[in-house]
Amino acid sequence: MSGRQRNKAGGDIRIALESFQNIREALTTNRPGQVGRGKDVMRRDVVTAHGGGSVSVAEVRSAARQLTLHPTRRRVDLLPYAFIAPLGLLLLAISFYPALYALWLSFTNATLLRLAQASFTGLRNATHLAGDPIFLIGLWRTLRWDLAVVLSELAIALPVALFLNQRFWGRAVVRAAVVVPYIVPPAVSALLWLYMFDGNFGVVNDLLVKLGFLKDYVSWLSDPFASFCVVVGAMVWSGMPLMAIVLLAALQTVPGELYEAASMDGANAWQKFHQITLPHLAPTIAFLVLLRTIWMSNHIDMIFIMTRGGPGFSNYTEAVYSFMLTQQLEVGYSSAVAVALALVLMAVSAFYVRHLARNVLA
Amino acid sequence: MIAGTHSYANRRALRRLGLVLGACTIMIYSLAPIIWILIASITPELRPDQAGVWQSSRAVDYFPRHPTLANYQALFSAVPFATYFRNSAIIAFGTMTLALTVGSLAAYGFVRFRFRFRGPLLTATLMAYMIPSVVLLVPLMVLFRRYGLINSFPGMILAEATNTAPFVLLLMINYFAALPAELEEQAQVDGCTRLGALLRIVLPLALPGLMAGGLFAFIMTWNNFLFAFLFATTDDVKTLPVIMRLFALGEPAVWGQSAAGAILTTLPVALLFLGFQRMLISGLAAGAVKG
Repeated sequence: MSGRQRNKAGGDIRIALESFQNIREALTTNRPGQVGRGKDVMRRDVVTAHGGGSVSVAEVRSAARQLTLHPTRRRVDLLPYAFIAPLGLLLLAISFYPALYALWLSFTNATLLRLAQASFTGLRNATHLAGDPIFLIGLWRTLRWDLAVVLSELAIALPVALFLNQRFWGRAVVRAAVVVPYIVPPAVSALLWLYMFDGNFGVVNDLLVKLGFLKDYVSWLSDPFASFCVVVGAMVWSGMPLMAIVLLAALQTVPGELYEAASMDGANAWQKFHQITLPHLAPTIAFLVLLRTIWMSNHIDMIFIMTRGGPGFSNYTEAVYSFMLTQQLEVGYSSAVAVALALVLMAVSAFYVRHLARNVLA
Repeated sequence: MIAGTHSYANRRALRRLGLVLGACTIMIYSLAPIIWILIASITPELRPDQAGVWQSSRAVDYFPRHPTLANYQALFSAVPFATYFRNSAIIAFGTMTLALTVGSLAAYGFVRFRFRFRGPLLTATLMAYMIPSVVLLVPLMVLFRRYGLINSFPGMILAEATNTAPFVLLLMINYFAALPAELEEQAQVDGCTRLGALLRIVLPLALPGLMAGGLFAFIMTWNNFLFAFLFATTDDVKTLPVIMRLFALGEPAVWGQSAAGAILTTLPVALLFLGFQRMLISGLAAGAVKG
């Protein structure tokens, strides 16, 4: 019953529909008053309609007719749609329509300067993509970037979360400090890391030389691999707190009795981690890896600000490639790259959306 | 027995040492880059070396002997920093208001009502959240040019809402779902209208959630680089992250000023975070943040 009590306005239709179903059931089984759970509902409706008395098949039939023939009783409640409409219209205008527009553009030879003359070129962009080395190697570069960032974030966030789950004096301060890099605007993080790894006056060079690890200053960002590592480092610094906090939240839901019981059975710390903590965290870790992989595949800011995708094309992930094409005003081909990326990610995204929707609709 | 207590004390000391070391490592990792740029921002551009010759302070200086705020002053005269700051604030406030309004209304609709197409509509809304920003860049640019929204506050606010509005929806759905529906029903039984119940009962209860959603929307917008870089190219709408990129390219080639700019760009969101830490951390834990 609680489901029905949840709302009054929508409840009218629900009760009407439910009793209608019960009545249909009654009609098909032809045994009035013996349709189980729905009996009370049906009787109540019919009672209000006919002023009491026992329920016969004929009465049920007439009640059913009333329910089906009088549209006023099945009026659609517009109120919920009114609540959703502003967001719906907004997203139609700034997300769905533009996304479809991007899809159309990806089949054209449009450039931003002569957009009006853009013509439909069918699969020409697609065939071009299939032979475009920057795009093809970009698939690997995207995957490499995803793996490096997401796995490094996890490798740092998990110990940090386990640490923050301990009880100690000043924990709130440490927890706040952990989150700070996430609050710093990514553009500022990019600036910070650029300066730290600057070839001439960077603090990293200075420290490494003073400690004797390096003989001379290194120009980190002009080497393809080193620049990749620096950008990944900046991204991990900036994104790791999200993982740490989500993992910490998951850790705090592990029932303490499990650990107590394990201690009594003589389990050591590693066994407890391996047998209790890790299985408990597994769904959260899977969720985080999925989420971060999607966002990192689409990520542009850090790579673009720190390296413009360079040196050369060494940091051209698909998102960065599409973005650079946009900058060159090649909007048709740029959209083709973006749409291709989105399609590849669609399967993963759908998985995530289903997970979210199920949580909400449950 | 004595040996037992002895080893227990040892283990406690060891644990304490581990905790201190761990806390220090984490704090250094998280805060060192920021402290480093804070130091850089108060290091004078020029300083005398041992021989008394004035040198550029581009050389690494960990403990500036003559801290100064000159970089901050220079920043405001070198670039229209105050204008950029104002622009960022206007766009962040505007986006926050828009996202909070439409997002929380829709969240309430999805949670409290059962209606036709509820599932598909919710799924579609969430799919909108999953559309990568890079897909939207070109179409939004074209549309904004067509409707005169390029280089305007409304345009920027609309663009930012593509991320923030669905985010607020997600956050508030969880929040409303946790509020007992019985309270509203009781209010309605007591003669409140549905709208009255919403305003008098639901709104006050949902206030912490709304604040968290608003804060996130503000911070997400304040921090966003991509849309601002493409859709706000003139000084009267340009935002701070775009300037940060110019600094990263070395314009103006003055390290201290860039550092001062980075600190000032971070300050508002950092203060918001410190002020509403608990709220923001619990919002983060929901794990629905984009990007």
